[in-house]
Amino acid sequence: MFDFISYPMANLILFLYNLLGQSTVAAISVLTLLINLLILPLTLQQQKSTRKMQEFQPQIEKLQKKYANDKERLSQEQMKLYQEAGINPMAGCLPLLIQMPIWFGLIAAIRYCIPTTPLEVFQFSQHIYKWFVGTVPLQSTFLGMDLGLPPGPSQPLAYALPVLVLVTSWLQQKLLTPPTPAASGSSSDPPQASASAQQMKMMQTMMPLMMMMFTLQYSTGLSIYFIISSVIRIVQYYFVQRRQNDEPGGTKRLAEPKKQKS
Amino acid sequence: MNRSRIWRWPIALAMLAALLLGASGCAGGNARATSWTGATLVEGTLYAADQAQVVALNAEDGEQLWAFPRDPEEDGRGAFYVAPAVDGEHVIVASQMPPSGFFGQPRNVVWALDRETGREVWFFDKVNKADGTDRAVGQYVEGGAISDGIFVIGNSDNNVYALDVESGAPRWGAPFKTDHRVWATPLIVDGTVYIGSMDRRLYALDLASGRVRWDFYTDGAFASAPVLQNGILYIGAFDNRLYAIDAETGTELWHFESDGWFWGSPVVDGDVVYAVDVKGNVFAMDATTGDEIWHEARDVAVRAGMALNEDGSRLFVGGQNGALYALDTSDGYLMWSAEGENQTQVLSTPIVGESVVYELVLYGESYRIRALHMENGRESWTYPHDAEE
Repeated sequence: MFDFISYPMANLILFLYNLLGQSTVAAISVLTLLINLLILPLTLQQQKSTRKMQEFQPQIEKLQKKYANDKERLSQEQMKLYQEAGINPMAGCLPLLIQMPIWFGLIAAIRYCIPTTPLEVFQFSQHIYKWFVGTVPLQSTFLGMDLGLPPGPSQPLAYALPVLVLVTSWLQQKLLTPPTPAASGSSSDPPQASASAQQMKMMQTMMPLMMMMFTLQYSTGLSIYFIISSVIRIVQYYFVQRRQNDEPGGTKRLAEPKKQKS
Repeated sequence: MNRSRIWRWPIALAMLAALLLGASGCAGGNARATSWTGATLVEGTLYAADQAQVVALNAEDGEQLWAFPRDPEEDGRGAFYVAPAVDGEHVIVASQMPPSGFFGQPRNVVWALDRETGREVWFFDKVNKADGTDRAVGQYVEGGAISDGIFVIGNSDNNVYALDVESGAPRWGAPFKTDHRVWATPLIVDGTVYIGSMDRRLYALDLASGRVRWDFYTDGAFASAPVLQNGILYIGAFDNRLYAIDAETGTELWHFESDGWFWGSPVVDGDVVYAVDVKGNVFAMDATTGDEIWHEARDVAVRAGMALNEDGSRLFVGGQNGALYALDTSDGYLMWSAEGENQTQVLSTPIVGESVVYELVLYGESYRIRALHMENGRESWTYPHDAEE
């Protein structure tokens, strides 16, 4: 489905593989880094939008309560609030939607290069650039694991990789998702904020678990990709986004609820 | 408790992600084929891997003689892709059974069946090592070969296995290990196993012991069986080259270069070698020098090798577009082509019978095996039969 992305990406993996001493993990790592750098503006925009929506969540929920029986008015007031605050409700999701084909294309590209099924390799044979003839298949062994096979009794060490996927993606979620804003002081607010926090917590738990389940079923090469991707995003957060948060005029990371309460 | 609309988006996106994964094939498994099927014709019976079953068909009319398992829904044995190997009493095939439970692994099994009845005689899925138990953990992509009571087959776990044909017991001390997937059928001649690996080596192994006699290294992976004639092995590789190699010493005699991988096995007839690359370029070469005699571009992706009829006048090659082509061997001229149904792909090497050529297709809705008259490509029969009604 995403062949228009996966074939060029697969060829890029082949190029990097040849460039980096025929190391499959190095090639996947560098490509993951390049993709993360490429989509960094989208990632930052998504994060910024999420934080802004988070800040105004209490006001939005107040409006929803106020106009619970008047959907049309609610919609108008929400749009007014978004305009005044400079919020685009789609801004948080659109970057994610754009990134998804890239991720799936990269997953498919890895499967082409580390042969998983013969049919996939045959399909890819029609799209290999002439400079990389003979490069496929890539070396599929890493630390004694076969990158083209899923974790299993024949390579028990590989079970550690989905666990690492869980840990790194949870950590990434935790760092990159801003905390729920503190209650405004009104006695009616705490339940609203609590609902958002619960849903946030659910997402933070659900996504890493889903990723771990996914990587248990598929080749360990994909686990490597997810781990590297999460680590890169964590590093990005520390070097880029945190600085952005601290800059004057930037969106400050919300104050810790405990500090505000005191 | 009011639900904020914004938090529905992550959940919706997660569901969309799952849907896209399925659509992209990443979440697939049982719905799409992972490989191509294979068949073997022996003494008027076509033994074919037919995904859910192995079937024995009367080669004249396609009537089913037996099937294993009889009822795949009740008693599934996994997906059969590899071409059966047949000797006097046995039909030996391999399948991949789905994992049991979420954390289970697929089971890759070699089955020996009674040639007359299709009854299971033995199966192999693990070998006891001195320090424990090991099993074939990868998919069997191509079939094995039988010689002197030993069945040899390569596996995607990088190993080559040798099993006793009568009992299924391992015959070598340990599987022969290569450095990458073994997706090729071995050629066994005079006690020597010639088998290519994706580690870019063609190995010559002693059949009795599995010890290496020589290996030939090149820049491309090997994924097909070599052909031997007059002491010369002919084999294609993923570096766009077809090689002629001395069978005794493993030294290269010549190579021929194309602009696509050579995946299917070549065909040798006298002093001519015929080969097709994955881009659909069909070549005839001088068997001694490798000089090109003629070249015909079919402009279709071709995965398999070609088949030659008995008098050497016709070459048959299948394409990913579902068509089977018959070429004149003197100049590559297209004699006829038989188109397939929508979505079908012919990725298996055709099999030549007495007056018909058999093709196996993937994703066929009304047939999976077709017998075509060699002279004109007209259909003789298809299998399964009931799809015609």
